[in-house]
Amino acid sequence: MTRRTGMTTSRRTLLKTGAALGALAAPMLNARTLFAQSGAFNWKRFQGQSIEVSLVTSPRADNLKRHQKEFEDLTGIKVGLEVIPEQQHRQKAVIEFNSGKPSFDVVQMSYHVQKRQFARAKWTAELTQMLGDAQLTPAEWDRADVTQRGLDYATDDGRIGSLPWSVDYWMLYWNKELFQAKNVAYPKTIDEIVAAAQKLHDPGAGVAGVVARGLRNANVPVWTQLLLGWGQDTTTGTPPRLITDTPDAIAAAEVYKKLLKDSGPQGVAGFNWNESQSLFAQGRAAMWIDGVGFAPPLEDRSKSRIVGKVGYGVFPAGPKAHMSAMFGDGIAVTAGSQKKEPAYFYCLWATSKAMCNRLLQAGGGVPFRHSTLSDGPTLAALTVPRDWANCVAESGKIARAALPVIVPVTEFRDTFGTALTNMIGGADAAAELKRATAEFAPVLAKSEA
Amino acid sequence: MAAQTDGIVNAEPAKRPPSYRPPRYLSFIVPGLIATLAVIVFPWLFTVWMSFHEWKIGGSRHWVGVQNYVTLAGNQRFLEAIIHTFYFTALAVILPLVLGTFAAVVFHRNFPLRGVLRTVFIMPMMATPVAIALVWTMMFHPQLGVLNYLLSLVGLPPSEWVFAKHTVIPSLVLVEIWHWTPFVMIIVLGGLAALPSEPYESALIDGATPWQMFRHITFPLVLPFLVVAGIIRTIDALKAFETIYVISNGGPGTASETINIYLYLQAFAYYNVGDASAVVVVFFGIIVALSLVLLYVRQRAKWT
Amino acid sequence: MTPGKPVQGRPVQSPLAYQARRIGGKLALGFSVVVLLAPCLFVFFWMLSLALKYDIDNTAYPPVFIPNPPTFDNFVHVFNESPMGLYFWNSCIVSGLATLAALVLGVPAGYGIAKARAHSLAVVMLISRMTPGLSYLIPLFTLFQFIGLVGTIWPIAITHMVITLPIVVWVMIGFFETLPAELEEAARIDGCSVWQAFLYVALPLARPGIVVGAILSFIYSWNNFIFGAVFAGRTTRTMPVAVYNMLTFEQYQWGPLAAAAIVVMLPVVVLTVVIQREIVAGLAAGGVK
Repeated sequence: MTRRTGMTTSRRTLLKTGAALGALAAPMLNARTLFAQSGAFNWKRFQGQSIEVSLVTSPRADNLKRHQKEFEDLTGIKVGLEVIPEQQHRQKAVIEFNSGKPSFDVVQMSYHVQKRQFARAKWTAELTQMLGDAQLTPAEWDRADVTQRGLDYATDDGRIGSLPWSVDYWMLYWNKELFQAKNVAYPKTIDEIVAAAQKLHDPGAGVAGVVARGLRNANVPVWTQLLLGWGQDTTTGTPPRLITDTPDAIAAAEVYKKLLKDSGPQGVAGFNWNESQSLFAQGRAAMWIDGVGFAPPLEDRSKSRIVGKVGYGVFPAGPKAHMSAMFGDGIAVTAGSQKKEPAYFYCLWATSKAMCNRLLQAGGGVPFRHSTLSDGPTLAALTVPRDWANCVAESGKIARAALPVIVPVTEFRDTFGTALTNMIGGADAAAELKRATAEFAPVLAKSEA
Repeated sequence: MAAQTDGIVNAEPAKRPPSYRPPRYLSFIVPGLIATLAVIVFPWLFTVWMSFHEWKIGGSRHWVGVQNYVTLAGNQRFLEAIIHTFYFTALAVILPLVLGTFAAVVFHRNFPLRGVLRTVFIMPMMATPVAIALVWTMMFHPQLGVLNYLLSLVGLPPSEWVFAKHTVIPSLVLVEIWHWTPFVMIIVLGGLAALPSEPYESALIDGATPWQMFRHITFPLVLPFLVVAGIIRTIDALKAFETIYVISNGGPGTASETINIYLYLQAFAYYNVGDASAVVVVFFGIIVALSLVLLYVRQRAKWT
Repeated sequence: MTPGKPVQGRPVQSPLAYQARRIGGKLALGFSVVVLLAPCLFVFFWMLSLALKYDIDNTAYPPVFIPNPPTFDNFVHVFNESPMGLYFWNSCIVSGLATLAALVLGVPAGYGIAKARAHSLAVVMLISRMTPGLSYLIPLFTLFQFIGLVGTIWPIAITHMVITLPIVVWVMIGFFETLPAELEEAARIDGCSVWQAFLYVALPLARPGIVVGAILSFIYSWNNFIFGAVFAGRTTRTMPVAVYNMLTFEQYQWGPLAAAAIVVMLPVVVLTVVIQREIVAGLAAGGVK
């Protein structure tokens, strides 16, 4: 108890220094000093307040929605929850932030697309101080348990603008039955994926060797996942510079082209994850490259014809490296919110150990926590195969962010996505990448200079 | 009969000078006008003003003069979007016009259950575009969609529909045709209802084929109605958004990226408000220009 | 008139040939009706079929046409997942307000434009229709935020006037132009003001036109997606936005999507059935102007 009080005092001193630097922090300081008298952490501190939460439709959001009453009972804070699809959420969030008074106090953000944009515009509140405040952050939240990758993702220019919530690795789903029928082994390298896809491809029987996103924008992670096999990112240095027309980038694109053009289903150039999922779940594709979140529908008998036949494989190694593409979501407090502390409580709850365990248990996502993946009861109660959890754990060890951390991520994905889609149509990989690089370079220069 | 037709089609009385404007009717128009302007003036000023700025939402904003327009004029993707728009619009106007006229001729005839069947036929134009687009998306799936199954039933090879570059725009037009043919049908039906019946009777006795009757009697008389339908369809097809946004979102690649989709991406995916505003101004210019051309055609069609 | 010309001088047909042509004509007519209606019916049928099957059958190939056994789970799912009743009510309020405002402002405007032949003003009204809807979003959101209306139903209702007002004006111009001017002139001679002549003479006569304008603007307001998508919040969402929101990540659900599509369209379809005759009459009259 004494130790905790000591920490608070020193933090308060720190805060005062901070407040002297910027007038913006002053109102927060006042609110906090008021509460400082009340002592230890107390979930009920902001009882009676109400907050608005805006999330993206996903199993992550479902998890919070399902257990929302627990949070309300625990804290006495009323939650107004809005869940909308990703594309709309992104556009709505930006329009609302831009107006200066967003209607929500808590917002979900995707690190791989919005990190730089949100950080640049300072749309989300800085959480560093609250994280260090034992009166606002309970010991059981256990910062040490949060993975370094997650904390890195949440930090921009030394500023923690969100709490890391859920990570998405890329992997290879494979249909065990189709593999057995053609006597093919699980590929260990990217070259073997190409060979296996060719062997398994059987248009006569209506089976595609492999399926993955071909649709512009959505398809870029497929390529960057392959590119990680050459140990390469899409940009380098500060300010970031494009390295998207290197020999390795072209080689990865050639693999992408070969896979989808020669062994992919008809029309794959327009496929997003949903078309891919429908096809794979009907047993009409032998392999599927995508994020880890799809186990629940694949193991659901009302949706899938391949229940129990799905293999969950760590993405195979490339010629130069073995990595799994990583994407992530965070949950943040909006900078313009009048209720930052209760909003922060919601974020704490959403990323708490209990909620993280539940998330993994349903196969709905992978938390940025060490303890979750080794939590016995959680693993024992998995509603998806154990293979999946193993695959996730293994992927986590070799994970690396697979999209550039820049403001115009969507433009990047559209430009290179178009090039990749063109390749499926037969265009030359090197020429397309050179064109896309030349097209995007000025955009990047303007944005990140 | 003929006089009444003239009265409907050419309501303009010839005697009054064209400048005649009794001021007493202004009070009827002013409230509606003010309301319209109240909603559109601020967005318009904002858009035009922004089109001279470089501004990415979340970043700083600065004046760049006509730079956005210059960039746009040399932007390959935008120029292609214009071509896609015209291609899409041409198909999405002409085909519903043809089919709608045909449908109107059919539903103008008397047959059992005509009322009920006509109601069924106009249902698509009342359907919620977003919802219908989602249903079509599922029908278009190249492996699991019902459309390819129907093709296979009649011995045709499967199509890739919206999943391939060369078929995406015609496939999207298919949805537009489904949606908007009834609209053309209704307008033309109104034209047919006002037609005199004598020329048909005498032509029938003379042994004219249905096509001859259509070509020489019906078509000239409904032409003004067709032009009106054409103008409205053109404005709507140029601005088509929901269908494309939901079904293909401009893809594959940029194969179905129309001006409106490009505008959407610039504004709400890339957040380049300056560039997007310039697109709006150019786009609006195109819509107005085309509408004026069609209005001119309409005047011509009226008097000949 | 030209139409008669090409057939002049032909021999009059025998009764038999005439009979044969009549039967052939009937067959052709029947065939045409089937061809025209088939696509229309099929899409609705398929939507219903998707909504009544589990997704495993919805994505089956060859497709399962007749749900066996049919399930209502998709509808249950739709109503459980989201407060559809609230969204339905929101849509009613938004479309109702936008339609009401359009009638109050648009009917007199249509009358004035028709009487004064102020077609250039009609074009000004059309400008709101010609402006790409997307260009309203950012400025209007900022404006509404400034006024403090965001989070209420008003921004959506107000922007929907961009849709409803041109429709009403357009339909009404057509109606009022076909009304004979004598009645109002008689009323004027009896001492009525212009507004009185409008209210007591023209308005009652234009009732069918008003009904059509109201119904059409209601339907098009109901169906609008993009304004609701941006201006609506958690409690003010409209039906089409709610349907689009049935799209979920990582589980693509054909059945619930189709079920939601049916739910949003049902009111509109019912309206159409009820007033189809008026719509045909009204659009036809308005179409020429």
